[in-house]
Amino acid sequence: MISLEELTPVFKQVFDDSSIVLTRNSTADDIDDWDSLTHMNLVIAVELRFKIKFALGELQTLKNVGDMLDMINKKIAKQG
Amino acid sequence: MENFNIAYHCTTKQCQAGLGDKVAMRWISSTFERRDYTFGEMDQLSNRFANVLQTLGVQAGQVIFTFLPKTPEQFTAFLGSLKAECITGTLFSNFGDDALLDRLGASEAQLVVTRKSLYRKIARIRDQLPALRTVILTDVAEDLSADVLSWERLMETASDEFAIPVTAPDTPSVLHYTSGSTGKPKGVLHCHRSILQQSRTAREVLGLQANDLFWCTADQGWVTGTSYGIIGPWSLGVTQLHIGGGYSPQQWFELLQNERITVWYTAPTALRMLMREDQMAYSEFDLTHLRSIFSVGEPLNPEVIVWGRDTLQKEIYDTWFQTETGAIMIANRPGIPIRPGSMGTPLPGIEPGILADDGASLPNGEHGNLCVRAGWDSMFRTYLNNDSAYASKFRDGWYYTGDMAWRDNDGYYWFLGRSDDVINTSGHLVSPFEVESALLELPEIAESGVIGAPDDLLFEKVVAFVNFHPGTEFTPELDLKIRLHIANRLSSVAIPQEVVPVETVPKNKSGKIMRRVLKARYLGLDTGDISTLED
Repeated sequence: MISLEELTPVFKQVFDDSSIVLTRNSTADDIDDWDSLTHMNLVIAVELRFKIKFALGELQTLKNVGDMLDMINKKIAKQG
Repeated sequence: MENFNIAYHCTTKQCQAGLGDKVAMRWISSTFERRDYTFGEMDQLSNRFANVLQTLGVQAGQVIFTFLPKTPEQFTAFLGSLKAECITGTLFSNFGDDALLDRLGASEAQLVVTRKSLYRKIARIRDQLPALRTVILTDVAEDLSADVLSWERLMETASDEFAIPVTAPDTPSVLHYTSGSTGKPKGVLHCHRSILQQSRTAREVLGLQANDLFWCTADQGWVTGTSYGIIGPWSLGVTQLHIGGGYSPQQWFELLQNERITVWYTAPTALRMLMREDQMAYSEFDLTHLRSIFSVGEPLNPEVIVWGRDTLQKEIYDTWFQTETGAIMIANRPGIPIRPGSMGTPLPGIEPGILADDGASLPNGEHGNLCVRAGWDSMFRTYLNNDSAYASKFRDGWYYTGDMAWRDNDGYYWFLGRSDDVINTSGHLVSPFEVESALLELPEIAESGVIGAPDDLLFEKVVAFVNFHPGTEFTPELDLKIRLHIANRLSSVAIPQEVVPVETVPKNKSGKIMRRVLKARYLGLDTGDISTLED
């Protein structure tokens, strides 16, 4: 199971901001640099870090970081 | 003398005309909180900020910047600064360190209004910005230091009365930086006279009327966001909607419907993204009150116009202008038949021309440089601290826009492309030189060449050709490193959508990167004359 603590460094790297504190309720509106273009960077970084693959647009449908974390964990569990 | 002060026309004058209680801005935050600001409130808040600037010793003619996402403070800071006759720049909130350093450094900015989370970028380069005396943070309650101050505290204690100086038309006003194909970005400086053209086009092209609710989706970091997201509509006393969130098809259409927006100004990339939303049931939204949709930024493809007619039962009007022109110059607009794919026709008083490189006027149908006869009201005044670059844009009374176009027999203009290597991606101009320079900062990269390649969604995408140092393997991790580096040094809009490893980057004998050759190779076209290519 991936935790928020393990996901946070990925966000810090992508948004070049060591002060980021993630909660399950965090959204793109809580992080100033999180837009549709940097979102792609986030997708790639998450895929590389956790060795999973997202389908095109899959992450666009998620409402917040909690949803993202759940999806990451589902994908990892599937890989078994 | 008549007062040309832009902020006076956008706030105080509206109050004097009896609109003090009318809503100027309907603000909807990213969490859907709604707050209406009247013209009276905008007047008082911008007065307060003008007083803050004076208290801090910022003088008329000095440069201040906002570096903010869309927030209410963006608008009051912008207007307050103009009231104090400061040169007022707006910075896209996703700019990285290099982009900020170029702009804040070259302009010798005295003050920046930003947020705590964005200040970290400025803090990293602040020792290279000797002119920057003060930073104001909009989201801290107390001052962080003697020169990093709290907006809330400053505004609380400032008077809401301010005597706006009678501002001459040629007084410098708004500053936007724009990218060229070589060198650093240039600061396009406008003057208060520009309000004449911005107001006129808001009325005559966008067709704004007293009871309209207007929504311009552009970020205030770009010229559309200030000319039509602030100045044009408010100079006419028209209510504007502004939202805190980003692109969201469902939310956008709910807003169009529920807020009863009457005129919508957006960008081709956004419209193309909406076209691709196959989950959206557009017919379920009631858009009867939406009178017109306008588009700006890059050419609007005919398919989008057809989609607007078929799916939304609306016309979408493409408009053309540049940071340098300050306001719409050529447009499709209500009352004139749309020619899908064309830029439209020139506005009254605007004289475009299609000129050959030697300055000869070209007849209809021939391709050439799109130029505009100098002297229109919103013409930029100079490139800040770079008069020679400004002078190079004018010849024989014509401003050379850098765009290539042709004119048909009915006077419609048709965009062909840029005459230089500047990349237009999602309506944002990206300098290949800046991306190439930033790429070379990475230790893995020996050479780089950057081009814009056609893209169905973005109009053009940034493609980087990279020659890696021996022993470097182009891995997904390195690809990510490159993307993050560009996003954090320059801006998210400059991120290469494709990185192509090459053994060498073609250069001419004097060492200049031959981007035209890269582009031809990428597109599978004839590379043309390569006699100047280095061995």
